[in-house]
Amino acid sequence: MRQRIQIRPPRTWTVILLLGLGLFIFALAAFASPAQAAPAFQEKKPSNDFCLACHQEEGIDLTLGKESLPVTINPTKFGLSVHSEEGIACVDCHTNISEYPHPNVKVKNTRDFTLTFLDTCKDCHQEQYTKTHDSVHQIAFDEGNKNAAVCMDCHNPHTQTRLTGKTSNELTASARVEIPEICAKCHSGIYDQYKTSVHGNALTQENNTDVPTCIDCHGVHNIQNPTTVTFRNSTPFLCAKCHTDSKIMDKYGISTNVLNSYVSDFHGTTVKLFEEQFPGQPTNKPVCTDCHGVHNIGKVGDKQTGLALKENLLTKCQRCHPDATANFSDAWMSHYEPSPEHFPIVYYVNLFYKFFIPAVLGGMVLFILTDIYRRIINSLKKGAKHS
Amino acid sequence: MNKVNQTYLRFPLARRIEHWVMMLSFVTLGLTGLPQKFSASNLSTSVMSTLGGIEVLRTIHHTAAIVMMLGSVWHLLVMGYSVFVLRDKMSMLPTLQDAKDGIQALLYNIGFVKSYPQMGRYTFEEKMEYWAFVWGTVVMVMTGFLMWNPITATQYLPGQFVPAAKAAHGAEAVLAVLAIIIWHMYGVHIKRLNKAMFNGMQTEAEMLHEHPLELADMKAGIADRRPDATILRKRQMIYYPVAAILTITMLGGIYGFINNEQTALTTITPLTETQIFVQQTPQP
Repeated sequence: MRQRIQIRPPRTWTVILLLGLGLFIFALAAFASPAQAAPAFQEKKPSNDFCLACHQEEGIDLTLGKESLPVTINPTKFGLSVHSEEGIACVDCHTNISEYPHPNVKVKNTRDFTLTFLDTCKDCHQEQYTKTHDSVHQIAFDEGNKNAAVCMDCHNPHTQTRLTGKTSNELTASARVEIPEICAKCHSGIYDQYKTSVHGNALTQENNTDVPTCIDCHGVHNIQNPTTVTFRNSTPFLCAKCHTDSKIMDKYGISTNVLNSYVSDFHGTTVKLFEEQFPGQPTNKPVCTDCHGVHNIGKVGDKQTGLALKENLLTKCQRCHPDATANFSDAWMSHYEPSPEHFPIVYYVNLFYKFFIPAVLGGMVLFILTDIYRRIINSLKKGAKHS
Repeated sequence: MNKVNQTYLRFPLARRIEHWVMMLSFVTLGLTGLPQKFSASNLSTSVMSTLGGIEVLRTIHHTAAIVMMLGSVWHLLVMGYSVFVLRDKMSMLPTLQDAKDGIQALLYNIGFVKSYPQMGRYTFEEKMEYWAFVWGTVVMVMTGFLMWNPITATQYLPGQFVPAAKAAHGAEAVLAVLAIIIWHMYGVHIKRLNKAMFNGMQTEAEMLHEHPLELADMKAGIADRRPDATILRKRQMIYYPVAAILTITMLGGIYGFINNEQTALTTITPLTETQIFVQQTPQP
């Protein structure tokens, strides 16, 4: 679950190099065989306009057993799609169709029809296709759940717009807003929770793209099972990716010290050690989500539900420490660094030892040094006497 | 030269065993405690993985702490016997003379006075270390209790006492370990290899150097005068039942210390149950 979800934009020199290389090969090919500039089969390949001549008509359906599949393609929507933009032909994916009437479709329902295209995306999107094979969706699919998401469930090939910048590989703002809606098609219960969270609310209500969408935590294409021990133990570091980034946090006045303060506490120390040494072994110490929530992460400062309120924090403590009473929640320093204002006793204990330790040890060392000095002097004197 | 070969018993076997038990538990506590305080360092993590992880480390630490607490109880009982039944001189109590001895030793070392102080059974250096150990043990047991039983503790104390206890426990540990390394190592191993805790004996020359006043008492036959049999018996008859009650109370205290609270250790965080697959109903 630590994989990067944003691919770095290619460096300028790489682009230039690739362009140069492409030009060189093109020139070479043109020079070597000018007559074969266009492959023969392309002449027979029907154009998209040719297909759309029929398929833009409203209300045409393909009957599959008892189900019917609308096969109307909206030319405007398709025109806006990334596939159209990139000049992908209908028949590049619908490879078995080259003329009318089309060959018969043998499958008996719409889902099976979708699944006949399972490997189609691979031709152009090898990387993403391979990644999906490591995902929870693939596992569910392999276990026989035909409804488990495949490429086309998230990316309608006829309408999918460009998700990343043309030159940068970073997700566009509109793509980020769109992502939770895509996942919501199957995970609407979680989406409903997410919408109420501080993250989801900012995304869906304010189009704020600083907040995480589904894929920032769960990954994309090779989405892992988020209920494993490994995932749980790594949670603090997942949250920390954004929450220690002052570029994002400073805008909202949120501390970037949350990971440090967590790790320096008993709970966090334990979880960090498990994460490093035995990532697959469960620990009963809480991670971020145990107190802050999972998909429904709320504002800490919320006047009703915020964890800044002692009573709310206590209920979180009581999930693991049922006997905890009012004072107990202060045993956790709420991500504060001890200071004269916050947790003064801790602050003054630290301060006391800051002086006490060097004073005691320094005194000892000084005394020992004088003792060593005296021994050397005495033995020198003794030596002098004897000689 | 019979005089030089003469040896004196400094620590009987029981006291030596006591010392070694406390020493072993101290070393174990230090070795399993410091990696917890400095858990980010590579050395700490390698110690932990060698021993089987942080939870194993904590269990070892707790076990060693129990040994040290039992050792302390034993020490208190032995001291009680020594003070009440034998009416030994309370030679470990710090006195004004110790401060004077310390200052004199320092002045002697830097050449301001001509003679080193003459001291009795325990020198000011030994008393300092003993009372530092007592202070350290008290601090560690109290702060350890707070961390071991945070729920009980916070019924009576403010919550921040728990992180404060953790801070004090760690800092005191650093102080204790370094003090032992510096003071104890130099005092009894480097300055001169003192074998009193190995074979229990000191030579006449050693006694003359470090405990001349005690040696004088020994030679005068007033060092450890035992009460006569009837008085001894009478005092024992009083002390034994009192000691038994004290023992039961203290052991009960330790039992409570260990077993009072389990939720912090055994609870498994309840998982948040969420329906994963909830298909969206098409909006009309």
